[in-house]
Formats: sequence, structure tokens, C-alpha cells
Amino acid sequence: MQNNQQKNTQKARLRPGQMSRPKNLNLFTIRLPINALVSILHRATGCVLFLILPIILLLLHLSLSSLQDYETVITVLHSPFIKLMLLGLAWAFFHHFFAGIRHLAMDVHWMTTLMKARYTSKVVLVLGALATLVLALKMWL
Amino acid sequence: MLIELLTKRYPGMRAWLTQRLSALVMVIYIAFAVVRFLIIQPNYYEAWVDFFNPLWWRIATLLFWISLCVHAWLGIRDVLKDYVPNPSARDVLDILLVVSLWVYLFWAVWLLLG
Repeated sequence: MQNNQQKNTQKARLRPGQMSRPKNLNLFTIRLPINALVSILHRATGCVLFLILPIILLLLHLSLSSLQDYETVITVLHSPFIKLMLLGLAWAFFHHFFAGIRHLAMDVHWMTTLMKARYTSKVVLVLGALATLVLALKMWL
Repeated sequence: MLIELLTKRYPGMRAWLTQRLSALVMVIYIAFAVVRFLIIQPNYYEAWVDFFNPLWWRIATLLFWISLCVHAWLGIRDVLKDYVPNPSARDVLDILLVVSLWVYLFWAVWLLLG
């Protein structure tokens, strides 16, 4: 009852024509524009990077503490599955890095029109992929 | 102008600008670290320890880590604001966030200067 009332008052505040707009909550029917994709990936990769902070600190700590621990870290980092995970995390870092620089550029009003923003979004995605590729070649060749 | 935006009078601008300044510090450190790594190529234990031995490099790394903690705090806090509508759940996660970042910071200080 109260909900209905709220809805009615909300309806009353809507501008004409706004009421007939479809409500579309199925995320799979929404196509994400490339700028939005880069933006949400920036957020997602940021979360991932936050979550691996303790692992990075632990690895740094062990690698510096003694020769034996250093060897252990190197061995672990060279196992095939870990290498694949490292590559994924490296991509997360590269994407966050380049997308972040894009945001900084936009903050000082570079590349802020829609066409330019779309273009720099593509550049960010390509740079992230390229950096990951270079690292992959360095790791496996 | 920039300094004024970092005062308590503009809390939103302060967070926004802090996020960007910390990002800038990290970009500079990372660029420097990559170049230094490629030049020195510390491929064995002693070289790796030497890589982290200079005091100026430890201080630079610590500056980087402080920026990272601040940056992560503001970033994750925004994410929690967006996706955790329950205030008490968000308070708990906020506290967890701050505590974990302080732990990482003390760990880094101990590791780099201890």
C-alpha cells in the first residue's frame, strides 16, 4: 500500500513521455559501449589488484629474506599454472594502468569528446593486450 | 588552488584529487622501476637484494606503497559505497578495508626500513 503510494508520487514527478519508457533489467540485452567496458574493467581490475596485495607483499618479503626462500619463490613462480595466473594478473595490472592514465588525461581535458573517448578506449584495450603479449613471450620463450 | 582542494573544506574534491595524485606518484615510480629493472636485470638472489638495497630506492618504494594504500582505500571505498547498500555490512567491510591496508603498510615499512 505504502509502496503503491510512493510509486504514484514518483509517477507524478516524471516528465511527460518518461512513463512509457521500458524498464530493462536484463543485463544481457544491454550492449556495453566500449568506454563503459574500459571503465568497468578499470574498476574490476582495481578490485583484483587490491585482493592480491598481501600475496605480492609475501612474495617480496620471502624473495628478499634468504637465498633458500628466494629459490622457493622462483620455483613457485615458474610452475605452469602459476605462470598462467600471473599472466592474467599482469593483464589486470596493465589494463588498470593504461585505463588509469586515460582517466588522468581526461581529467585535464584531453580526449573528452565521445569519438575521442571511444578511440582512446580502444587504445587502452590494445595496449593492455599488447603488454600482456610481450610479457607472455618473455615468460614462455 | 590544488592545495586548497586538499583541505577538509572540500571533502569530495579532496578524495578525488588524492586519488589522482596518488595515481601519479605510482605511475612515476612504476616507470622508473621498470627502467631500473631492465637496466640492472637482477636475475639472481644477491642482485635482487642489491636492487632493493639503496636507501633512496627503499624510500621511493615506501612512497609508492603509501600512495597505493591511499589509492586502494579510496577506490575500494567507492566500490563498497556502490554495491553494498546495507549500512552495517558496509561499515564492517570499510573497517576490514582500513585495517588490512594499515597491516600492509606496516608490513611494507618493516620490510623496507626494518
